Amino acid sequence: MSPAPSPAAAPARPAGHPGPAGPEAGFGVYVHVPFCLTRCSYCDFVTYTGMEGLRRPYAAALLLEAELAVAERLRPDPPVVTSVFVGGGTPTLLPPADLARLLDGLRGLLELAPDAEITVEANPETVDAPVAEGLARAGVTRVSLGAQSFEPGVLAALERPHDAHRIARAVGHLHAAGLRELNLDLIYGCPGEDAGSWTRTLRAALALGPVHLSAYALTIERATKFGRLVAAGRMRPPEDDVLADRYEAACALLGGAGLHHYEVSNWARGPVAASGLPAHASRHNLTYWRRGGYLGLGAGAHEFTGGERRWNVASVPEYLAAVRAGRRPTAGGERLEPAAAAFEHLALGLRTVEGLAPVRARALGVDPAGPAAAELRAAGLLAPGPRLALTEAGMLLHGEVVTRL
Amino acid sequence: MTRVISDQSRLRNFSIIAHIDHGKSTLADRLLDLTDAVSERQMRAQYLDKMDLERERGITIKAQSVRLAYTARDGREYALNLIDTPGHVDFTYEVSRALAACEGAVLLVDAAQGIEAQTLANLYLAIEAGLTVIPVVNKIDLPAAQPERVAREIEQVLGTRREELLLVSAKTGQGVPELLEALVERVPPPAGDPDQPARALVFDSLYDVYRGVVAYVRVVDGSLRKGEKLRMMASGTVSELEELGVFAPEAVATEQLRAGEVGYLIPGVKDVRQVTVGDTVTSGARGATVALPGYREPRPMVYSGLYPVEGDDFPDLRDALDRLRLNDAALVYEPESSAALGFGFRCGFLGLLHMEIVRERLEREFDLSLITTAPNVAYRVHLAGGEERTVSNPSEMPPANQVERIEEPFVDAMILAPAEYVGPVMELCQSRRGAMAAMEYLSEERVELRYRLPLAEIIFDFFDQLKSRTRGYASLDYEPAGYGPSKLVKVDILLQGEPVDAFSAIVHTDKAYAYGRTMVARLRRLIPRQLYEVPVQAAIGARVIARETITAKRKDVLAKCYGGDVTRKRKLLERQKEGKRRMKQIGRVEVPQEAFVAALRTDEADGR
Repeated sequence: MSPAPSPAAAPARPAGHPGPAGPEAGFGVYVHVPFCLTRCSYCDFVTYTGMEGLRRPYAAALLLEAELAVAERLRPDPPVVTSVFVGGGTPTLLPPADLARLLDGLRGLLELAPDAEITVEANPETVDAPVAEGLARAGVTRVSLGAQSFEPGVLAALERPHDAHRIARAVGHLHAAGLRELNLDLIYGCPGEDAGSWTRTLRAALALGPVHLSAYALTIERATKFGRLVAAGRMRPPEDDVLADRYEAACALLGGAGLHHYEVSNWARGPVAASGLPAHASRHNLTYWRRGGYLGLGAGAHEFTGGERRWNVASVPEYLAAVRAGRRPTAGGERLEPAAAAFEHLALGLRTVEGLAPVRARALGVDPAGPAAAELRAAGLLAPGPRLALTEAGMLLHGEVVTRL
Repeated sequence: MTRVISDQSRLRNFSIIAHIDHGKSTLADRLLDLTDAVSERQMRAQYLDKMDLERERGITIKAQSVRLAYTARDGREYALNLIDTPGHVDFTYEVSRALAACEGAVLLVDAAQGIEAQTLANLYLAIEAGLTVIPVVNKIDLPAAQPERVAREIEQVLGTRREELLLVSAKTGQGVPELLEALVERVPPPAGDPDQPARALVFDSLYDVYRGVVAYVRVVDGSLRKGEKLRMMASGTVSELEELGVFAPEAVATEQLRAGEVGYLIPGVKDVRQVTVGDTVTSGARGATVALPGYREPRPMVYSGLYPVEGDDFPDLRDALDRLRLNDAALVYEPESSAALGFGFRCGFLGLLHMEIVRERLEREFDLSLITTAPNVAYRVHLAGGEERTVSNPSEMPPANQVERIEEPFVDAMILAPAEYVGPVMELCQSRRGAMAAMEYLSEERVELRYRLPLAEIIFDFFDQLKSRTRGYASLDYEPAGYGPSKLVKVDILLQGEPVDAFSAIVHTDKAYAYGRTMVARLRRLIPRQLYEVPVQAAIGARVIARETITAKRKDVLAKCYGGDVTRKRKLLERQKEGKRRMKQIGRVEVPQEAFVAALRTDEADGR
């Protein structure tokens, strides 16, 4: 399937778009689909339940916005697109035909690399045989399933409508449709979870044979049900020591099963390239961590082109109105001072095992052989060698390392 | 509006003695209303409390005077000089000087509260100074008022008769006209000799940016004239009298001030140290040879280190202190440096309130962010070789093996409490190494307890404890009572084996363990987990008496960072980095400023 990205395989960055990262970072398109069947208790993404009537007009508007975005941000020499990621929300709530039209439309507007990774996020309960086949027909190469847990108690606490059985069936349908580049998202540190149930979830996930696994520490965001419960003192946020225990359990179990830990919260199957990255790493997400450019389409989507970040309005009606009036629905943006940009690059780059090449690190104002780095190496948080990269132990202390360097 | 009455027989100089919140400022406002002193436009509530800070705290820091023109029922006009006094134990000396400028005092007592210790202490000062006391029960309009009970209490304390006592509501004005009459009738006119060489008592001084030092004075003998040469008999300062006048209540310049009058002088000097409270002003030529009695050097009782949170602010702190001291003769300071806190100043204060006021003024008026180390007293350390040394910073205490004995300052404390709380009060005093000197019933319900206590024991949370054990009913006053030997040790606090000078304290041997345990537990709570395990220890010399461990940090990472998260997550990390930058590095340990502030706070709640 998708080979590990390497500098040699990446398309050259066209002139006129000097990005902060080199061309090896790739260029992505992110499409946000903000519809969900239900609202989960931990999620603070831009999502709406209901709004069935808006789904098709929204799909049409995405393509209109893509035209505006290309005209505004990528002329005259649009870069070659190395990945598309349709996230949400629940993108599989869009009719498969609409999704196909959207991807076709993007292909018409922009040059997609022949091996472009095209990921769609899905929740298990929305994936049946016709949806799986529809995704495959639309040219999707990779599916990321929001499994979260295989434990009924934890799924209930997260207010997910699916069960372990439904995850297995979704995987079955996707495999049957020829989609084998699958990721499973898992969350740990949830209410109702203990060391045993977390291990069971990891084992159940591995049993489905995904080539990619994401395991996220539960993060309490203010604007969520969990956030409100914690603020009201009716729920205890997960303790750091518990999260560290779960994380270490995941490292041991997933590593033992042959998955490679390549980013703070991500594991993938090999083989492993010289960069340290496994072949089945998410190319789209690597673009983020390498501080590469990407278009952001849809309500609440973020975009990063030419060293400038901007983001869209979160409201779907406002989004539709702006796009129909021929305007990009911009809500805000920022262009960073060099120091802030360097710090951001460092923080992003250190999330993966690839880390930063010594030349890049120096360009960001960090001496990879300096005393701070030496102390962190001695403490076992930075990997030995000339590159600036975290060890597995270091990943759990990414914040400490980044703020020390 | 301003008629200057200088006929000595028509002058009345008086103060109001009252506890905080017993209505002194409100009464002063009513007196101003009923006399010719202030127009509506100038009127604002609590006229005499000058600084904003005072207004907020509801207390009066700087004594001031105001002249009221009052036409009495005998048809004659009198000049009533109200001399305001500070209302806190830190300023007992200032109170005594303000009272020395008066012939009479209004004892103002809240009808719902009864007499408080401070009031009683100041009343004793007034009686000692030979003042005529007019007892007044205030707030009789309150539903909770018990004027009869309070009246009995006052009779008991003063030995006055019932009919000498006035019932007043400063809020509604009820009884205030009668009070004005009583002031004229009962308070004797000033007795000084107008023909002697001039002697004026400085009962307050302040610094004005435009005029320099302004001194508040009571002319006792002779008179002072504009333009004449002046001499301050204690400080030796000689200057020319630029201006003099009275407050009515705004400053009104006059040609002269004569025996018995109260007013202000602008002597043309720049530093309040040249014109301190208690000093005697006399004429430069043919001046008095004997100063008025009772002068005392301002003497700090409590010491604390003041450090800027941002090391770069040190020069600003120095400038701010230099400016503040122009207005505060009692503030002393000298530069010191701390391994933990960098460069700062060791400051001496009259007491805890004075310390709080200085700190607040520095932060508010000079926009500084400060760390204040735990307040301590000055110790007299007798070294083995016979040398004696005064130590006002615990980290400078010589090693135990060089010390022969340590003496600490004591105070005589007076506590007034409802009889039912005598037990808890005695318990508290005993736990603070107090020795009882006397116990006396003021009435069936109220008891006066006298204790000799180490000053160090009351500068922490003694007053809060006293209040909480008596449901707020007890009150406290104290005065210095010299030095005495005690079994004291220095307790050091170590982070990862390194002593943190800012946390060193000198405590009584019996309390060393408790102090050590409290501090290490506090610090374990306040210092965030680090990359490495950090032992927190308390030690006397080389002997560790308490230990806690801050376990190494295990998780510090944002779980997700994708395209839509970058801006927000970068800001989180930037904040974390900024927080790290602001931490003080002690060895390998990063200690947040907030941890210093919180650990050194005396009211820091523990065990939560």
